[in-house]
Amino acid sequence: MNGANEVYRGTHRGAEAPRSATRSSGGAVFLTLLGKECLELLRSFKLIWVPIVFAVLGIMQPVLSYYMPIIIEKAGNMPEGTVIEIPAPMGSQVLADTLSQFGVMGILILALACMGIVSGERNSGASALVLVKPVSYASYILSKWLSIMLLSWGSLLLGYGAAWYYTWLLIEYVDVVPFLLSFVLYGLWFSFVLTVTLLFSTALRSAAGAAFTSLGAAILLTVLAGLIPKYMAWSPGALTGLAYQAATSPGWLQMEPASWWAVITALIAIAALLAASVVLLKRAPARD
Amino acid sequence: MTAQLMEVKGLSKSFGTMKAVKSIDFSIQEGRCVALLGPNGAGKTTTIRMLTGLLAPTAGEVSFRSLAPGEDRRALIGYLPQTPAFHNWMSGMEYVVYAGRLCGLGVSEAKNRAKELLERVGLADAAKRKLGGYSGGMKQRLGLAQALVHQPKLLVMDEPVSALDPLGRREVLRLLKELKSETTVLFSTHVLHDAEELCDDVVIIRSGEVALQGSLASIRSQHRQPVIELKLDEDNTRGMDWARAFVQRTNSGEASYSWLSEAELRGNRLHLTAAHMDQARQALLEELARHSVPFSRLEVGYSSLEDLFMKVVGE
Amino acid sequence: MNETLELSKMVGLLVPLIILQLILMIIALVLCVKTEETRGPKLMWVLIIIFGQLIGPIAFFLFGRRQA
Repeated sequence: MNGANEVYRGTHRGAEAPRSATRSSGGAVFLTLLGKECLELLRSFKLIWVPIVFAVLGIMQPVLSYYMPIIIEKAGNMPEGTVIEIPAPMGSQVLADTLSQFGVMGILILALACMGIVSGERNSGASALVLVKPVSYASYILSKWLSIMLLSWGSLLLGYGAAWYYTWLLIEYVDVVPFLLSFVLYGLWFSFVLTVTLLFSTALRSAAGAAFTSLGAAILLTVLAGLIPKYMAWSPGALTGLAYQAATSPGWLQMEPASWWAVITALIAIAALLAASVVLLKRAPARD
Repeated sequence: MTAQLMEVKGLSKSFGTMKAVKSIDFSIQEGRCVALLGPNGAGKTTTIRMLTGLLAPTAGEVSFRSLAPGEDRRALIGYLPQTPAFHNWMSGMEYVVYAGRLCGLGVSEAKNRAKELLERVGLADAAKRKLGGYSGGMKQRLGLAQALVHQPKLLVMDEPVSALDPLGRREVLRLLKELKSETTVLFSTHVLHDAEELCDDVVIIRSGEVALQGSLASIRSQHRQPVIELKLDEDNTRGMDWARAFVQRTNSGEASYSWLSEAELRGNRLHLTAAHMDQARQALLEELARHSVPFSRLEVGYSSLEDLFMKVVGE
Repeated sequence: MNETLELSKMVGLLVPLIILQLILMIIALVLCVKTEETRGPKLMWVLIIIFGQLIGPIAFFLFGRRQA
């Protein structure tokens, strides 16, 4: 700001000058919003139960894989002497299976847990009270987005980490590189889908609508990437397949250029979805 | 001397083809208490939401004199909606601190302010309780506390007492009376009585347009008209027949009385708006005597604000 | 693969899983009892939480409580 502005302020708000001096920056406002979101996650117990569910899912997969031959043998009612040949599962395959489990149950739970994050406050009118204060629309959306990211990346890490540890205990050690690489790729996929949820939570009145639209989009993208890999390799939908490959290939996955594009388009799409959410919110900060 | 705080120019809002607000102009002087008065559906809430920035106007602008270029006008406004909604998992104290932090106050400053305000609105004892358990009146008072947390230049309220029970209503009105001496206040209401009790200026709106505006005192004196109310004996058909004929004669222009400007029959009461009080009294008494009209009461007085309000918004 | 299961190893592996599920169930039960209003009868939710395996508590967390 320039000097003229200061003078202008000085003449009209002279009495309040000390107060405006103590005003903190937009960064503090953003942190306040983020703090509120995290406190809400904690008080609604989401920050506790979602990670636990992921941990349970993550442990179950290697345990099931390990006991599967025995379970089949016991339950199979096979005639005496039948030799069941079930190849011992590869550790990396178990990790990939865990990811695909997260891809169904995990994303469903996260999308349902986050579906009302904007629409709930907008429908009740709670957002109106926040947005009449000098708060930027972008920081409102970003604080919500960041809290979703915290919850989803944290839960995924906990669940996938548990799966990795149990795989090591029960089956075999899987190298850290494929584990981390597949984790990051899958986390990016989660981020993309949940940012779609956030957008529709801003766009739609109904929270369920937001969850199912974003899950529908996720299914569509993965199916398309599976059906016509040649043409959809650049789309975020290819990320899940990429993550499975990363988990099962030893060492660093050799990523093709098209695969890199999947990562880049996902990042761009997330940024664009966030920008669209801000625009939508700005257009109608509250409903009656 | 009062300085202008806010000016509204040509403010309009259309929802599809429906014009909710049609080019409203008014201004608010610093330190005044202004009521936005009008019947339900007149466009009060829409106007208020545009003032607070919650709704983008179709046309027109809202400007604050004390606002530096580039500064957010929301920093100057404290807003209390008709039925404020909070995060039910927060406590009263937490919410006001949160509101203060959002307005840019530091941590300790926000805490001090919150404590002070909760005390002031009578929620000190409930400060630690979760908002989900607050009653309507408590929520309204908390809404007031959170709206005042950054010492706004203008306190904007949408129907602040309409949704409350009589007790909560009296409580909030008492607070508002105190507050209006400290800051500029704008509130909407459909109840004339509330406006009369609290405010200095009124802006009466009707179907999205300003019907009348000015200070309460000047409106009262400018629009004061002598009125005569004649209460007739309902069972007496002669009296009622005369009244009906009288009204009909006046309104059809068959007979024009120079002393009379309007006549209306409501039930068994004949309302006459007089042009000249003395003449009117004289002439009416003669008329009544001539037809030997049996009446039970004759009252002479001046039109109230209520009459004016009804007339302005009633059409 | 090892055909003969060591019982202690099996228990050691499954205990964390059971504990986690129990924690979920207990949190859900406490919330269910404490909350003023559930969507649908409270008793139904209690039964769902107890007998619904992993899905029961999840369903309660997601849909059982009236949105604040």
